[in-house]
Amino acid sequence: MPDAMKDAKKKKSDKPLMNILWEVQERHGYISEHMLKQISLEQDIPIARLYGVVKFYSMFRTEPQGKHVIEICGSPSCVLNNGVELAEFLKNEIGVKMGGTSKDGLFSLYKTSCIGCCDEAPAMLVDHKAYTKLTEERIREIIARLKKQG
Amino acid sequence: MQILRQTNLEALDRARNIGADAVLELLEKKGLEGRGGAAYSTARKWKRCKNAPADERFVVCNADEGEPGTFKDKFIMKYNAETMIEGMLICAHVIGAKKCYIYLRGEYEYLRKRLMQQIDDVVARSKMDVSIEIVRGAGAYVCGERTALVQSIMGFRGNPQYSPPNITECGLWGKPTVVNNVETLTCAAQAVLFDDWNANLRLFSVSGNVSNPGVYELPLGVKMSTIIDIARPKRKLKALSFGCFGGIMPVDPNMEVTPETINMEECQHGAFSAILIDETNNVVDIALSIAKFYAYESCGKCTPCREGTIRILDYLKRVKSGEAEKKELETLRELALHVQATSLCGLGQSSGNHVITSLLHFPEDYEHYINKGKAGAGAPAETAKLAQAEGKALENAATPKKARKAAKKE
Repeated sequence: MPDAMKDAKKKKSDKPLMNILWEVQERHGYISEHMLKQISLEQDIPIARLYGVVKFYSMFRTEPQGKHVIEICGSPSCVLNNGVELAEFLKNEIGVKMGGTSKDGLFSLYKTSCIGCCDEAPAMLVDHKAYTKLTEERIREIIARLKKQG
Repeated sequence: MQILRQTNLEALDRARNIGADAVLELLEKKGLEGRGGAAYSTARKWKRCKNAPADERFVVCNADEGEPGTFKDKFIMKYNAETMIEGMLICAHVIGAKKCYIYLRGEYEYLRKRLMQQIDDVVARSKMDVSIEIVRGAGAYVCGERTALVQSIMGFRGNPQYSPPNITECGLWGKPTVVNNVETLTCAAQAVLFDDWNANLRLFSVSGNVSNPGVYELPLGVKMSTIIDIARPKRKLKALSFGCFGGIMPVDPNMEVTPETINMEECQHGAFSAILIDETNNVVDIALSIAKFYAYESCGKCTPCREGTIRILDYLKRVKSGEAEKKELETLRELALHVQATSLCGLGQSSGNHVITSLLHFPEDYEHYINKGKAGAGAPAETAKLAQAEGKALENAATPKKARKAAKKE
């Protein structure tokens, strides 16, 4: 058995690490260095290994995020249904480049692989909620609503 | 639809009454195969896990449905999650597991709350001493691969592992583990209970340039024209891509859709996710979006996939921008074949399919871009020279630094 697997046996909590990391991210918006240190101590996992895990998964963030995290799908079904142009439109609408956060701290924008909404393409996730059958008009509406919410 | 038939814990009762061995025999007889894409006999998988010596065993439901164009598992979890949970309990009963996991992909977070309630409800009603926990994925496509999934549940990076040891003998924390797809587990419960259960029915996820996309249950051997009729394409169809990894093939209305006929077109059926592409699209554009997907999702563990997917993407970008020459297409094909042959896991092994199949079936689409590039940049002879020089420059630039250093040393 590899050494790393023995490490896994030692862990203090029965909760899967993935769920712990999600909870931290949901509480703080992102997984900070401070939180990484704390999880490392609590779970008895070397911090280097922990950082490696966090960086592996694209949905874990190590930088502060905007209030609303938008992930727009870039897979073939969405591409076939005008997805590329809509992603450009969305970028201009909120004034952020892919992978960035807007200056007012309201939006973070990411491109993601398939989100399983191909039957209602093009689609995007806003704070884990799926918005489908997007058009320019619909995007404008959604963004306006989110801005109003603050 | 057969997949939506509810079993209401009667399947579990039946499994308990007839005993573990009889359940395995029944599933074998009914011919249930894994629906995640590998089509391995479910009964054999369970049997191997059951017979592996251990004090503890695990059942994992693979709900990390990341294949682009596939959304059938979401459909099942939305409309018949109870039967899926019952399938897990039957598996736990057969192999003797006390702990089960559902690995739910991060993108399906909105399904989690309801799923948790359904788990509590079904487990309480079953009065079985089994706990089911949801592990939340976080956007890694490769975690759909069973060894990577096991790593992820244990709290590691989702890197695929060498097999053997097979996870049915050495999986979670070194214990025998069954990893089955959502659809497989749902079918397992239904196959145990219903005598008229039909192993021939498959879920097709249809999407793309069509006005009627969705999940359809169709028998194997269905005519392609039937799928087209249901999907109602907006314009004349040109190509069909089975997810990202299956490859791109021409649409032939007379074709009978079975794994064998799909293989004859050098493609793979996978989870029967059909992305239909109409004649207004150039297949190179689709191949490019698939190449982007692979370059982004490669976990980086093995070299052929980590480097190869990026080089394939580079080549396709060059083709699209009109910089590539026709003879480079052969190099591209060879590169894809090498990545396919030498990668560690299913992701890498399929990451060249879209290139190989699109080059085979749609060479004219590649030539279209190549000719366009030539026509746009002046006299043909001059352009050829220019392209050659550029090609060399790019080849040098794209060689990884370390490889170049090593070559120098030699």
